[in-house]
Order: sequence, then structure tokens, then C-alpha cells
Amino acid sequence: MMKCLLRKSVFFGSTLVALVFLCSGVTFSQGLDKEISMEENIPTNEGLTVKYIATDLNGADRALGQADPYKLELQIQDLAFPNGGGSVQEVEVRGFHNGETIFFGIKWNDASKNDRAIAHAQFRDAVGLMFPLETVKEISPEKPFSPRMGDRGKPVNIWHWKADWEKELNVNGGKEHMEDEYPNMFTDFDFNPDPIRFHKETYESTPLMAGGISAESLLSQANRGRSVEDLNAVGFGTLTSQEHQDVNGKGSWSNGKWDVVIYRPLETSDENDVKFVPGMSTFFNMAVWNGNEGDRNGQKSVSIRWRPLKIETVK
Amino acid sequence: MTLVHNWHLGRTMEYPYFESRPEHQFAAVFNINRCIACQTCTMAHKSTWTYSKGQEYMWWNNVETKPYGGYPQHWDHKILQLLWDNGNNPMEWYTSAKDKDETKAPYGLYNGDTIFELARTKGLNQVAVGYIPDDKEWRFPNIYEDTAASEKTNYETGAANESSELPEHKRWFFYLQRICNHCTYPACLAACPRKAIYKRKEDGIVLIDQKRCRGYRKCVEQCPYKKPMYRGETRMSEKCIACYPRIEGKDPITKGRRMEARCMAACVGKIRLNGLLTGDYRKPDPKNPMDWLIHIHKVALPLYPQFGTEPNIYYIPPRWAPRSYLRQMFGPGVDEALDKYASPSRTLMAVLQLFRTTQTMLSRFEIEDGKKIFESEVMGKKVEVYNDTVIGFASDGTEIVRVQVEEPTWESDEKRMITY
Repeated sequence: MMKCLLRKSVFFGSTLVALVFLCSGVTFSQGLDKEISMEENIPTNEGLTVKYIATDLNGADRALGQADPYKLELQIQDLAFPNGGGSVQEVEVRGFHNGETIFFGIKWNDASKNDRAIAHAQFRDAVGLMFPLETVKEISPEKPFSPRMGDRGKPVNIWHWKADWEKELNVNGGKEHMEDEYPNMFTDFDFNPDPIRFHKETYESTPLMAGGISAESLLSQANRGRSVEDLNAVGFGTLTSQEHQDVNGKGSWSNGKWDVVIYRPLETSDENDVKFVPGMSTFFNMAVWNGNEGDRNGQKSVSIRWRPLKIETVK
Repeated sequence: MTLVHNWHLGRTMEYPYFESRPEHQFAAVFNINRCIACQTCTMAHKSTWTYSKGQEYMWWNNVETKPYGGYPQHWDHKILQLLWDNGNNPMEWYTSAKDKDETKAPYGLYNGDTIFELARTKGLNQVAVGYIPDDKEWRFPNIYEDTAASEKTNYETGAANESSELPEHKRWFFYLQRICNHCTYPACLAACPRKAIYKRKEDGIVLIDQKRCRGYRKCVEQCPYKKPMYRGETRMSEKCIACYPRIEGKDPITKGRRMEARCMAACVGKIRLNGLLTGDYRKPDPKNPMDWLIHIHKVALPLYPQFGTEPNIYYIPPRWAPRSYLRQMFGPGVDEALDKYASPSRTLMAVLQLFRTTQTMLSRFEIEDGKKIFESEVMGKKVEVYNDTVIGFASDGTEIVRVQVEEPTWESDEKRMITY
């Protein structure tokens, strides 16, 4: 009898402990992230207005010149492990739309141009725009929306422009290879010296060896045809590339400054894409990666607080 | 961070994930004493997995000459330096009887910081303390080949003659065979912010998901053994996959039975035995050759256990190298392991015969007694050799191999000796 009681109490006791443990959220966090602060869910007052200007990509630069600039102060990413970034203090963004396509013009200072990620310790410059996937009217401590790349049930859409993808748009074969970084390299397994066929046979005959290429990762592919990756996330560590890529961009670096334009149709058929309707307002957030400082993943300069984004009606 | 038990350290330690051991653990025993550094394992690996573009510099298996060699260069010196310069109680072990436990702390208690604990106590932006080796360090996989430690080094680290006396040779070097350790607590897995690295439940093999990897190189940075490598061609990282199709028994040669990895099966010097450890380290199977060598007889030791990842490639240390150097590399279990290896027991002598007799993974061994064939004295200890027969079985119970301690020899017919 006592034995049975003891067994029961041990069982119920441990269940209780387990429940408390589960509910405390300890199991879901690795204990490496900072607690969510009140400020994180208070958007700034000022934001970006996406003007209506009836022009296309060719006139984008001029139109962006007419649009009002909005400056975002960036800071070190210290919310989630691993922390980092902070080398880029400010990013300037302008926006316009022509009733069909939305354009964002982004400028930031970066003394070094890092547009390759082939060697071991070589990292790219990049910039990211983040929007709540569903239209969000209000973000406040009462109605939170995590600026930490979204949350469960609150996905975000991220547009990630990459300096090396931009460069690869214009290289022969649509991709930079090992020999671009190491011009004197020797490899004795190239079955065909023709640069387009270079190593193709090996990859095709033994896809397991082709790693990311056979896994069809956009990062590994040639001829992506774009410099911006269209992604979704529901929190740190969940970033996932979309099957349907819709965002385009162009960028150039001169005199220590990146000048990037990112554009996409206001609406797409993809349900994983944020939808923009003239007259609406939502929020956005930004991050900049400085390749020279080894920035990648969470090591980035971030804006943290959501910024209001207004889209002018078509005039 | 959670607390997990690391039996190499004889204590719990901090790790970002909960303790979740696989059902079986991919493991191997490398007998350093037998290695001739022919690099057949290295080439077996290379010609199987890393002959494509972007993998030119990749050697998932390499054999380096210690103390100076290393691929990437100085990998272990650098990590040890990080631990030594910044960690609490670096390399401090308690090895008294009360600090030991047969299963949970067989080598004693490690009192220093692991790479995880150091990163945490120092507030670094890393889960495990580490660095990304640069291009220069990956250049020469076999730099300092056969370069012996100077006599000066020998005096500093203490003479080798504690286990074997080589009075004519005051210098020493040995070969260290290295593949991914498929650690129980992989630092690469802990470091990946995307959880693109996973440890398989069925056999403990650690893999990088090529669909989730985004080439952040956190694994390259934080694996202390430097076995994940960045492939510039695909912009993502790759690592030793433990020849998992073979481990799964996909190769038709072994008829669906688990098969040893390529680098293991190719070993000319018969230094390697590859198998699966019982998942629960507290319940080793005395008939499983891996469990017996590692957990029960403790003749094979982990490489740099103080890193804290619980690596699963185990080494029988070389008899001729200075003990202090070996203790730094394999932990305080070195003396016991070398005593056992220098004057081997009957069972050890038999189990050592299983090395490289078959490609099929052996999960059980039996010994049939034979006659005494030799008697000697090693380091004041009596050694008796019996011609026992050791039988190896696959996991399905099939007898795979039967060998004797004394290798059978034949004398050719006199007529065949005629030279022309």
C-alpha cells in the first residue's frame, strides 16, 4: 500500500515538476537570448512614406532622388546569440511605387567592398528589409510583433540583397567559381575544361558530391537572375528561402558607399510574400551586414524597432 | 544552456541542448602504435567524397605527425592556447579514487573549463570558443611529416621511458589519425544558429543539412577539431559523413549488414576498428568490441577530452611518446591504457586481432581458448600469449570472421625456393 502510494506520489510529483518546467518556457529557449523588452514593441513615430511616382525601373534612380529620405539608426545586434554587427551606424532608405512595382533605394557607408564569399574567412556585404507577412495595423506592448525575425504564428517576409549575387549577375556563367578567388589553382578532376561544362559531368554523375548544388540551394546555384533573396522566418534560426523568388535588385559601390535598389511587384501570387496595396500602412525593419567585419547571420547592424511604412495612393 | 553529463570529464557540463544520446553511437578505435602514415585512409576518403571543385583542400580524414604537424596547421595548439590563456583551471584533472566512477567518470574529474564553458564565462559571441583557420593554415595537410620533437622538447615534456625504453632514441614523434569525431556534444551543432547540423538518433552520425546550411561558417569556427570545412564553390560547409550509406548497410557487398567506413576499411596497417557503441554509456555490452575496448578495458581514449564535446574516435596511445604530452592529448587515462597495452591481457590480445579482418561491422565477439605459445616480461610484468581464437559476429548474429592470435604460417616447398 505504502509502496503504491509512494510510486503514485513520485509519478504525480514529477509530472508537476515537468509541467512547471514546460510552462516556464525554459525548454523553448536555449537561454542565450535577451528577454523581450518593452521598447522592442514600440515602433518609432517617424517612418518611410512610399511615394507614388509614375515611372519604371529606368527612371527609378531619378524617382528615388525625388522621394524623401528616411534615416534609420542601426545598432549592434545584442538580442540574440551570437551578437555582433554595429559597424554600420546608419542606413538611408527612400521608396516609391508606380502602382505596379514598389522600389526601395538604400544607401549606407561601407569603406570596403566585399562581394565574394568563396575563401574561408570571406564574407559578403548585404542588406535586408523585413516586413510582417500579414498587414499589421498596430504594434505595441499590448499587441506585440517580434522584431526578432517574427515569431510563431507571426511570420515575416525578408528581402535580402547580397553583394556577391549582384556581382554574379554580370559574370560569365552566372556564378563565380573557386578559380576566380584562386586563379592559379589546379584541379585534376575536371573532365571538361570548357568553363560552362567545367565540372558539370561530375556533379551530374554523382549528385551526392555536389553538396549545395544538388540540394538546389539558391546560394550554390548559377544564373539566379537576381541579387535579392526572398525569404520567410518565424523567429531567429528559422530563415527559409522561398520556392518562388519574386524580388529583384541592383546595387553598386563607389567611394565607400553602397547604393542598392530593391524592387518587387506590389502584389504577387505567392502567399508567402507581403502584399502592398496603395493607401495601406504597415511596418518595416532593416539590417546591414559588413562583410569586412565578418558579419553574417545574427552578426549584423540592426534597426530593432519597427518603422511605420506608408504607401501613397495612386494619383 | 542546460547541464549534460560528459563521462569523459566525469561531470556535468554546460551545453545548449539537452542530453539526448543516440541509440547507437558511431565510433572507432585507432591504434596509434601500428600506424605507418601511409595515408591510404586519407586517399580512400579523398577519392570517395572530396574530389569535386571547392573540395580540393578538404581532407575529412588526415594523418598528421605529432607534435608539430596539424591540419589545419596548429589547430590543437591554438585551441589549447585559448583554453590555457583564458579558461579556469586549464587542464586540471582530479584522478584520486573518489573522483573516479567505473562508468560515469572512468578517467577522473576534469576541473577546467570546456570550450563551451569558456565561451560562456568570458561572455564571448560564441557557443564554443574557436576560430576560423585562414587559407594558409589549410594549405599543407601533412606539414612536418616525420619531424621528430627535439631532445630539448623531450626534456621539457619528460622522458618517454615510463612505458617503454628506447635508449637510443631520445627523440620522438607519432602519427595522429583524424576524422570527424561525431561527438556526443558536437560544438559544430551547438554553434549553428540555423540548426542545420543534426546528430542522427539511430547511429549518432553528425551531418550538415545541405538544404539548410547558409554558409555562416560557425561550425568551421567552433568545432575544436576543425573538421567542418567551407566549400567556396557551393557557399556552404561540408563535413565527414562517416560514410553513412555504408554504415546503413546500403553497400551490396555486406548483404545489407552494416559496413565500416571507407577510411577504416582501407587501413593497411590494421590500426582501425570501426563499430557502434551502445547508446547508454552506463550499460556497456562486454561482448561488443567497441564497448569492451573503450568502456570496459579502457585501453582506447578520447582525443582532447578537455574540449568537452565527448568525441567518439578513441585512440590507443603510442607507447614511446612522453607521458605528459600524451596526458594533455588523451587525458589522465593514458597511464592505465598504456599499462594494459604494453602487457596485454588475453582478451585484449584476442580483440586486437579483429582489427581490419573484415569490412562488416562487428557487434559481438567470442573467444575460444587456445594453447600458451609465448611468455615474456615487459616492463617488469609477465606477459603470456595464448593462441586463442576470436570470432566476430555481425549485428544479425552471423559469424563474419574467425582468427587466431598466432597468425598461421606455411613453409613453401623446397622446390619453389630455387632461384633461376
